[in-house]
Amino acid sequence: MLVYTFKRLLACIPTLLIASILVFLFIHLIPGDPVAILLGDAATPEDIAALTYEMGLDQPIWTQYLLWLGNVLQGDLGTSIFFHEPVLSVIADGAETSILLALMTMIWIVVFGIPIGILSATRHGSWVDQITSGGAMLFASIPTFWLGLYLILIFSVGLGWFPSSGFPSISDDGGLLNIRFLVLPSLTLAAPNAALIIRLVRASMLDVSREDHVRTAKAKGLHPMAVSLRHIFRNALIAVAAAFGFTFAALVSEAVVTETVFSLPGIGRLVVQSILRRDYPVIQGVILIIVVLYIIINLLVDLAYARLDPRVSLK
Amino acid sequence: MKRITWMKFGIIITVLTLGAGTSSADGTFRYATVGEPPSLDQHVLTSDLATTIAHHMFEGLYTFNEANEPVPLLASGETISEDSKVITITLRDDVMFHNGQNMTSADVVASLNRWGEHGARGGLLYTNVESVEATGDYEVTITLKTPFGPWKNIMGFINGGPAIYPVSIMENAGKEPISPENYIGTGPYKFSEWQPNRHVELVKFDGYVSPEGAADGYAGMRVAEFDTLRFIPVPDVGTRVAGLKAGDYHYAESIPGDLYADLDADPDVRTILNGGPIFGLVFVNSKEGLLKDNFALRRAIQTAIDKVPALQVAIGPEGLWRANGSFLPEGNVWYSESGIENYSMGDSESARMMAEEAGYTGEPIKFMVSTNYSHHYDSAVVYTRQLLEAGFNIDLQVYDWATLIEKRAQPDQWDMFFTHHGFVPDPILITVMNENYPGWWSTEDKISLKSRFTEASDPAERQAIWSEIQGLIYEQVPTMKTGDIYTYNIASPGLNGLGEATLIWPHFWNVSN
Repeated sequence: MLVYTFKRLLACIPTLLIASILVFLFIHLIPGDPVAILLGDAATPEDIAALTYEMGLDQPIWTQYLLWLGNVLQGDLGTSIFFHEPVLSVIADGAETSILLALMTMIWIVVFGIPIGILSATRHGSWVDQITSGGAMLFASIPTFWLGLYLILIFSVGLGWFPSSGFPSISDDGGLLNIRFLVLPSLTLAAPNAALIIRLVRASMLDVSREDHVRTAKAKGLHPMAVSLRHIFRNALIAVAAAFGFTFAALVSEAVVTETVFSLPGIGRLVVQSILRRDYPVIQGVILIIVVLYIIINLLVDLAYARLDPRVSLK
Repeated sequence: MKRITWMKFGIIITVLTLGAGTSSADGTFRYATVGEPPSLDQHVLTSDLATTIAHHMFEGLYTFNEANEPVPLLASGETISEDSKVITITLRDDVMFHNGQNMTSADVVASLNRWGEHGARGGLLYTNVESVEATGDYEVTITLKTPFGPWKNIMGFINGGPAIYPVSIMENAGKEPISPENYIGTGPYKFSEWQPNRHVELVKFDGYVSPEGAADGYAGMRVAEFDTLRFIPVPDVGTRVAGLKAGDYHYAESIPGDLYADLDADPDVRTILNGGPIFGLVFVNSKEGLLKDNFALRRAIQTAIDKVPALQVAIGPEGLWRANGSFLPEGNVWYSESGIENYSMGDSESARMMAEEAGYTGEPIKFMVSTNYSHHYDSAVVYTRQLLEAGFNIDLQVYDWATLIEKRAQPDQWDMFFTHHGFVPDPILITVMNENYPGWWSTEDKISLKSRFTEASDPAERQAIWSEIQGLIYEQVPTMKTGDIYTYNIASPGLNGLGEATLIWPHFWNVSN
C-alpha cells in the first residue's frame, strides 16, 4: 500500500504542473487589471502604468509564470496584491473556516443522512419511505441562499440563539466556542448534501439487498437489523464512501453561496473575490491548493475502497 | 447509554448557543461593510470604503466642517502672501503619531511630497508647486508657481488626499500603497489588525490630543468613545440587515433603495441618509472614434435622454434621488444652473434631427457598462432604449468592473462608458476636470477656463468661472451627469452621537452606545 501511495503521489506532479499552467494562463488572459482596481476609479492610465511597472506586472507572462513556479517550489506562493500578506497565510486563514465548516457539515450529514437513508431503505415502499424520500427531494431542491437567510431570520433575529454571520478564528477570543458561528451555515450546507446521501444510501442498500448473500443471511434466520447493518449497509458503504470524499472536497472549495450569505471568510468566497479583484497570486495559490486537495481525497477514497472491499487490491 | 448520548448532545447545543449575541458589551463597535478596501493608504487610493475606515486613523492638515468649508485640523492656521503664491502653514505642536513621536514639519513635508508625486489627487496641486519647505519645527511653507485657488479644498479632502504619516515611513514609500504595518497616523484610533475576509480592526489611541472647539462636521472635538472599531465585510445585503436587527452589528452600509420605506418605518433600525450625494456619469470619448470631436452629435445624444425614468428604475424611492443637472447639489456653494436646461430633455424627435444634421448615419456607438454596480447597469439599459428610439445604433457592452476599467484606458475600445462619482468639496476634484482621466477632455476652451478657475482665489470669482465650465460641459458634452443619488446606511437605534445624515463618509468618534 505504501508503494502504491508513493506512486500515486508521484503521478500527481504532472497534474499539478498542467493545472498551474492552465490557471496561470486563463487568469492572465481574461481582461482586467489588478492595479486599476487597486488604485480606484480616479486613477489615470499613467498612474496605473507606473504602479504596474513598480509591481513587476508588466513582465511577459512566461517570465511571471517561471518566477512564480520557482517561488512555489521553494514553498512561497507569493504575496497577495490586495492584502499585502503572504498568499499561504491568506489561504491558511480561509482554510480554517472552510475545513471546520466542512467537518461540521459532514457531522450533520452523517447524523441525519445515514440513519434516515437506512430507515428509508429498510422501510422501502412504506409511508416512512415516502416521507423521508419526499423530504430529501425537498431539501435537495431548496436554494442554499434562501434556506440560509431563513435560518438567520428564525435563529438569529427571532430567537437570538446563534450569531447571524461572521466567524472569528478559534485562536481568537472565544476559542472553540466560536464554532457556534458555524452552526447555521453548516446546517444550510448539510440540507441538500444530506438529502443526496439519504437518496444514495437508500438506493445502494436496495441494490445490495437483492444480492444472494443477503438472501442467505435472511435464510439463516439472522435478525433483520443485523442483516441490514452488517450485510447490506456495509456493502452499500463502498458507493457512499466515494460520495463522502468528494462532498467534503466540494464543501471546502465550493461553498461560496453559503459563505457569502453568512459572511464566512472561507476559501470559496476568497476565490470569487480574488477573481473579481484579479488578485493573481491568491487565485493561483488557492486553485493549486484545491487541486492538491482533490488529488489527496481521490487517493484516500481509493485507499478506503481497499479497506472496505477485500476484492479491491492496490497495485 | 442512550440517555447519556442525548444529554451530551443537549449540552453541546446549550454551549453553542451561549453568548450567541456578539454585540458590544465589550466596547467594540461593529460596522458591516459591503466589501473590503484594497488598502487604507489615503495618498494613492480614492476608495470610499478605504476612507470610511482610514479617516479614523489618518488626518490631514485641514478638514471640512458641516458647511463644507475647509478648516484646520493638524494645522493651526496659515498666512498667504499678497500675490497668493506663498502659503505659510503653522502646525499644531501637540499632535502625536501612533508610534509615540511628536508630529513636526519634517513629517508634513515628506507626506506632502510623496502625495504630490504619487498621490491620486496630489498632481492637481503639485503641478503648480515650486517648493515645499520646513521653515520651522512647526511651520511649512508652500511656494506656488502661479496662484492656485483650490489648494485648501484639495488639502482638506482626505480621500486620495494628503494624510500625514511619519517621515520614516514616507522615505521609503512610492506609488505602491503602504503596507498595514506602516499604518501610523495621528487620528483618535490606531490600526490594530487586518484579517483578510474577516475584519479590519482599529483601537482607541490613548495618546490622542483632540483639536479644540465643538464638533462641527469633521472638524472640532474628536473623542474615541468605543475602545475598538471593527469593520466586517458582509457582502450579502440581507445578512447586513438581519445582522443589524439581531444586534450583531451597530451599523451597516450600502442598503438598496427598495428596502428604504420598510427600514425607515422599522423601530429597530435607524436609517441615515448620506448628505453628500454621489452621481452617475456617462463619459464620452474625446480621443478617438465617432464622438471624438463631433459636439453636435454628442448634443443629439444628450437631447435624447430623459434621466428621470433611469433614476426611478435604478434607485427607487424618490427621497433617494434628485434629477439635478448641477454637478454639485442645491444648497452647495458650487451649485449652478448654467446649462442645466439641456440636462434631461428626453426629446427623441429633436435628437434624431440633430443627429442627422451632425452627419450621423447609424454607425454603432459602443457603450460600456458594468454589472458590478446595479444602478450603472439599470440606468444604462434605460438610456440604451431611449437612444435606440431616437435612431442611435447603441452597442451596449456589459463587463465586470475589472474588465471595464482596463478597456476604458484603451481609446479605440469605446465611445461611452458608465461610472459614478463621489461627492467632492471642489469641482476641480471631479474627474472630468482631469485631462488624463479616460474621456481625455482637453479642448482649448476647457484648458483656458480651467486655468482661470485654478488661478482665481476669490470665492465669488471661482464660482462664476465654475458656472462657465459647467455650461461648457453641457455644450461639448465630455460627460453626462445622470442625477444625484443619496445613498443611505442603517444603524442601531441605541447609538448616540450620530447625526441625521453623514457628510460624505460616516465617522464614529464622538459616537457611543
